[in-house]
Formats: sequence, structure tokens, C-alpha cells
Amino acid sequence: MGVSGAWLRVGGGLVVFVLVALGGLSALAGLDVDAALDRFALVMMVAIPAGVAVYALVEYLQTGRLDSITRQFDTRTLVLMPVAMALNIVLGTVVASALKVPIYLDSIGTILVAALAGPLAGAATGFLSNVIWTYLAPPPFGSPFAVPFAVVAVVVGLLAGTFARWGWLRPRRGASGRQLAVGGALSISALIVMTLLALRVWLAAAGADGIAPEADDGAFLILGWVAMSLIVVTAVGLVVLLVRRRDLAAAYILLAGGITGVVAAFMAAPIAASLFGGVTGSGADFVIAAFRQAGADLQQAVLGQSLISDPVDKVITYFVVYLILGAMATRTKARFPQGQYLLPAAADDDDPAVYP
Amino acid sequence: MLTFRDVSYRYAGASRDCLHAVSLDVPAGRVTGLVGPSGAGKSTLCLIAGGLAPRVIGGRLIGEMRLDDEDVSGWPMHRLAEHVTSGLQDPAGQLSLVADTVFDEVAFGPANLGLRRDEILERASTAMRQVGIESLAGRDPRLLSGGQQQLVILAGLMAMRPRVLVLDEPVAHLDARGTREVLDAVAALSGTGTAVLMAEQRTSALASVADSLALVAGGNIVAQGSVAEVLDDAATVALGVEPLPEQRLRMRLRAAGLDPALLDAAPQDPAPLEPRA
Amino acid sequence: MTLLYIPERRAATPWHRLDPLTRLTVGVATMLAAVLLGGVICPLLLASVAVVLPAALAGVLRDVLRTGLLLALPLAVSVVIVNVLFATGTTEQGIAIAAEVVVRVLTMAAAAVLFYATTRPSELVASLQYHGASPRLTFVIHNGVAMIPRLAERAREVTAAQRARGLDTEGSWPRRARGVLAVAAPTVLGAVREVEARTLALETRAFARPGSRTVLWPPHDTAGQRVARWGILVALLVLFVARISGAPLPC
Repeated sequence: MGVSGAWLRVGGGLVVFVLVALGGLSALAGLDVDAALDRFALVMMVAIPAGVAVYALVEYLQTGRLDSITRQFDTRTLVLMPVAMALNIVLGTVVASALKVPIYLDSIGTILVAALAGPLAGAATGFLSNVIWTYLAPPPFGSPFAVPFAVVAVVVGLLAGTFARWGWLRPRRGASGRQLAVGGALSISALIVMTLLALRVWLAAAGADGIAPEADDGAFLILGWVAMSLIVVTAVGLVVLLVRRRDLAAAYILLAGGITGVVAAFMAAPIAASLFGGVTGSGADFVIAAFRQAGADLQQAVLGQSLISDPVDKVITYFVVYLILGAMATRTKARFPQGQYLLPAAADDDDPAVYP
Repeated sequence: MLTFRDVSYRYAGASRDCLHAVSLDVPAGRVTGLVGPSGAGKSTLCLIAGGLAPRVIGGRLIGEMRLDDEDVSGWPMHRLAEHVTSGLQDPAGQLSLVADTVFDEVAFGPANLGLRRDEILERASTAMRQVGIESLAGRDPRLLSGGQQQLVILAGLMAMRPRVLVLDEPVAHLDARGTREVLDAVAALSGTGTAVLMAEQRTSALASVADSLALVAGGNIVAQGSVAEVLDDAATVALGVEPLPEQRLRMRLRAAGLDPALLDAAPQDPAPLEPRA
Repeated sequence: MTLLYIPERRAATPWHRLDPLTRLTVGVATMLAAVLLGGVICPLLLASVAVVLPAALAGVLRDVLRTGLLLALPLAVSVVIVNVLFATGTTEQGIAIAAEVVVRVLTMAAAAVLFYATTRPSELVASLQYHGASPRLTFVIHNGVAMIPRLAERAREVTAAQRARGLDTEGSWPRRARGVLAVAAPTVLGAVREVEARTLALETRAFARPGSRTVLWPPHDTAGQRVARWGILVALLVLFVARISGAPLPC
């Protein structure tokens, strides 16, 4: 099966997904839906499986098998998935309850599996993580509030697996000066876009002059600093990658994290707003409170918080995953279904230093 | 009996072979030991014998592998696993983590084979008796000592009723007591007619159970024969394979200009096991 | 031949004796219904029937209420802060929203706690497999649950080892950050490295064989429970359609 066959499957899945999503949204828009029913999440819960089902159907019609799907769930991946799920849950719980910073760090495992095994394996990891987090995680790691966000985790896994399949998490060391300049420029523009987006929402929520007085709040400032320091560590790490190790992957990490974060924000915010009055019992609540105080309504405040937290969270997450992948032996990575797309382009030939 | 004929193997992505045209017999009812310096290819040979290379870890295998005169090269892993099973070094790392009790852990393999329920229960019970862990049946395997865990793994492999059992340094992580228990179990299992292939760094541990030895070096089998033959071979000594305590004493006596034969006059104990530092 | 081991059937209550799938259905349905039912009174009625009653029956009422409260508390506090203290609308509106969310969150938390306080993961997995779930799926679920305390335990071990080597996990922020990194990196990488050995250990025990697996300890399913599960699903669907078509709250 050639490249065109794969495109047909992906295209078919995407078209159906978009059709179902749009159809569903317009169908529900006409109805008087209670605030407690999150329209967007509901439609996604139907549209995503529909898209995947059509993808599977097309592949089955093309080849009579489902290789590209079953291949993503080999034994090695099935053994990694539980580790990844535990990582999501343990880190997510610690960050949410102990650190109280407005980021989540609950998708490192999801993105790790997606990178190594593929989009569907990543989606399954995200989904099962959130389900187990609610229904089976032993105390003190249980959280009844994770399961509604399972649909977001699914999308994060799908996106991460696709980006990794495109080689975005491949080390790209030894890039030329021009490539680095272009990559650096692109990264900085991506950062600016993210900042502007966040700022626009912030401003829209707060009004042109609404922020300054409230920002003096002491607790808020300290939490801001904690979050900032995490962000700075990641930013410094990315710059080190880019400049000192001449690794262009930094630009791709930023791009992948930014896109995943914005998509996740638009999906998670309505769920949080409609189910839980916008709060999650974590550090992000303080950001929402600040927005509310500045005069935003609930939906706006939650979306504003999500658009700030999620891209930052996802950039950090992709960076951590990149570090984990870098620490794994080349041949270990290569044994995973999608591992070949994570190896540096130059080193897939003989490398006696790595193999015994 | 498991038979290798001219087996060469290369890891995925590597530039040269790790094993070069190796031939070896692993006969039923006997323990065949693999000795040799680390990095010589013992573990690779175990992975191939157990069918895990190339089926699970990739790479390229050339040559012939036969199980009781049947060519098994084309068999998928789950089919081969009905006849050949492998044990690895780290006991805890091999636990399925889906069994709350030792009994369920031992029954994991037979359950995967899709056997009937009463057959699974019978096999698990028998294997636990063979290995001598009946008293642990209701315990949580995650909370046992390393030696006990390795026995549980061993019982789990035996419950598959394999014709060949491959063990890659099963006592490497164990203390003296755990080592003794596992070695006793291995000896008992080979007594039931199972062919055992076992790699081990500690010569003294291996010598106490092996019926024959193969010396692996540089991806080749350079010597093969009885335990005494291989260990007394000059090549074995030259490769730095740990000699047995008694052998070491003889060598020292010889080096000191004394006649080693004076040892033969003294009553002999079986080779004792040294606790690992 | 005599069996060496028969898993002890705990001195179970009628609730414990139910097929875990039935208990799961009740738990999931309660959480979904708590979302679908708006207001305060409906979810409270639901909670008393679907959570408090079974919890009392199972003898875990105190645990369920205490753990449920503990889990829901941080969120409830945040809800009040965001909707009452920092609200833009009137205080009454804020209190109404906050009350609704707090009741919903409490119901959801208690329903989840009731399920996992009365169900061992192995029981649920056996039941799911018995009812036809893929052995790969149940492996991932079961192994995932087992891995959570294992990962936490590993982090504790690494922390102890690093402390023994003189690492400082208290003190100034940069020091603490270094401490966190020194614990997190070996914990995560160690867990990831374990994957290869476990893969081999599973493959050699025929884990990858296609087809179904024999369930060793099947659940006690009954015709009554099957009817009840379908009944709950139908009721949920009716509720969903009613709410989506704008029907007024029943209470």
C-alpha cells in the first residue's frame, strides 16, 4: 500500500470527522441545551470515533486488514502504555494538588506513547489514563474529575502521534546557520503568536486597563513566579538545544506544543466551564479567579486561562518527552512501531557505538 | 532437543554479526550451560534459543534452528512459546503485574494459551509443586524476595509445559540462598525431561547444575564438552572465565611448584557456592 | 487432583457479590446522570439511591463519604471562590451556580469512591474479560492500575537513595528544583527501561497469541443483573434525550 492509500484513509477519516462535527454542532445549536451539557465535547465524542471508524473502514476495504492500526498495539506498546498512564496520573496528581501551579503535566505519558507507537496508541493512552484516574486509581491518586476530560486527552494523543510521524520529534543536530536562523525566527514568531493570543483573551476579559491593580495580589504573584520559572526552564532548555547543540528540534517542539495546547484549550475550557464551574481544584483556578475579578464571564475566564496554561503546559510536556526519548537507547526506540521516525536522520545507518 | 546449525545473528541497525555460524545441541533432560566473558554473545544466544530474537527484538537471523527435528524458523512467537520459554535476569521485571497472587502469576502463561480452565489450574498447581512454592500460592508476587520471585517466574514458565527452558543468568540478582533455591529448582526441572539452556557468569553456580558446558567467546562457540573438560581447557582460563575454587587452588599449587595431586588425597566436598559481594 | 489454591471469597455483602460490571455500570451511570440532572435536589436524590444506599449495604458508607468529601473539597472551595467571591453577577446567582456544582462534584466523587472502594482491579478485569473485552485492553487497564503505586514507590526509593548521597530536597528554590530533577529523571527513565524486559517476559509466555483467554475466576453474573444493567442504560438514554430536547427538570 503506497503513500496515496494512506492519504486516502487519513483524508476519509478527516472529512467524516469534520462533517460529523459540523453537523452535530449545527444540529445541537438549534436545541435549547442546558449549560450542564457541553455541546462541543459531546459532538467530539461522536465525531472522533466516527473519523477513526471511517479510517479503519477505508483501510479494511483497501487491504482486507487493519495493519496500520493493530501494528500500533504490539506487545512493547501495550507494556509501555501502563507505565505512561501511571506517569500521567502520578505527575498530574502531584502537580495539581501539591504544586498548585497553573499547568497540568498530565500528558507526558500520552505524548510519549504517541511518539513511539502512533496516534491511535497515544489516543488510547490518553483516554484510558483519564478513565483509570477516576475509576480505578488507588488513593491518594484518584480524581473523580478526570474522566470528562478524556476526550481532550484523546485529541492530544492523536495530534502528538501525527507530529511524531512527521518527524517533528527527531533530533536535528548539526543544522546549518541558515536553518537555525529560520527555525529560531519561526519559533520566536510562534511564541509571539501564542503570547498575543493569550494577551488578547486576557485583555478582552479584563478590559484595557483592568489587570494592573489585581496583579498586586501577593499569592497570585508567587504562583505566577513558580509557573514562570518552569516556563523559563523550558525556554532556556529550548534555546540551549537550538543554539548550543544546534538542534533544530527545539523549533518543532515549540510548534507541536503550541498547536496541541491551543486545540486542547478550546476543547477543555467548555468542559471545565459547564461541568465544574470552571475549576479543577488546581493552581489554574487562581488564574480563573483573576480573570473573573477582572470582569470576565465564566466561559471567557476559563478559555482565557486555558489559552495561557495549555500551550505552555504542552510545550513543557513535549520538551520533557524529547528529553526522555533522548535518554532512551536508539535500538530500544527503533523497536517501537513508530520509532524509526524518532531517530536522527543521519544515524539510521551503521552505528557500532550504539549496537553491541 | 533444540538444535542450532550455523546460526548467525545481527542486531537491527548493527554493522556486523554478533554470532558467527554457531552450532549447538540442547538435549532433553539435561542442563546445557553457557560460559564465557561478558559481551561474548551468551545473552544473544539465549534470546535466539528462546525465539525472542529476531521475532520480538528484530535483527537478522541466518541458519537453522530445529526443535526435535522440526524447523521452527517460521513459527510466530506465541506458537514457539508453547514449546520454548525463556527466563531473564531481573525477577521483578518479569512479573506480569496483572496477577494479585502467585497462583495467578503462574497461571498467566497457560491462560494465554487458551487452555480449558481445569487444565490451567492443574498445570499451575503442578508447576508450583515442581518448583517448591506451594506455600506461596496466595501471596502477592510483587511483595516476595528476589529469589522467591524468580521461583515464581520459573514455575510460570514450567506451567507452559515447554520442551526447552532457556535461562539467561537467572541467579545474577539473587543472594546465596535464592541462588541455591533456584538452582535446585532448575536441576529438578531438568529431571522431568525438559531441555535446559542456561547462561551464567558465575562458573561455580553453573557447574553445580550443568551436565555439559559450551564456551562462548567473540560470537563463537570455542569449546564444548563436559563441565570438567571445558573448565580445564586452556582457552577457558585464557578468556578469564571464573575458575571453580578447587581449580583455582590447583592452579595456585602448580604455580607455587607443588603437586596438585595432593588435593586428591583429601576428602572432597561438593563445590560450595560463594555469596556474591 | 487437588488444587493448591482457591482465591478466598471475602465475607462479602450483597453489593460485593454483584458482578463488578454491574457495579461499574451503576458508578458510571451515576456520574453521567449527575451531569445530566441539573439543579440541586435531583442529584441529591440520585446520590442517596445510587451511592449512599449501596455504600451502607456494603458497609463502606463512612469511607465513601469521608474520601468523597476529601476529594471534592479543593474543587468545591475553588467553585465558591470563583463563582461567589469573584463573580460578576449577583451573589445569589453565584451561590446558585456554586451550589449546583458542589452537589454535582460531591455526587461524582462519592460514586467513583464507592466503586473503587468495593472493587479490586483484578475482579473488574476478570469481569470485563468474561463479558468479552479484549485481553490486551484488560491487560493495559490492570497493569496501569498496578503501575501507579509502583511508580510512586520507585520515586520514594530514588528519593531515599539520593538523600543518602547527600541530595537536598529542602531549602532554596534552585536546590529544590535540582532535587526534583534528580528524583524525577531516574524514576521515569527506570520505569521506561523496564518496558523491554517485561515485553520479552510476556512474549515468552504467549501474551501475543490472538484469540480469547480463559477467565480463571469468573464473576457472579445473573439474569437479574443483566436486566438491571440494560435498564440503567435505557434510563440514562431517556434522560439524555429528555434533557437535550429541553424537557424541564423532574425535581
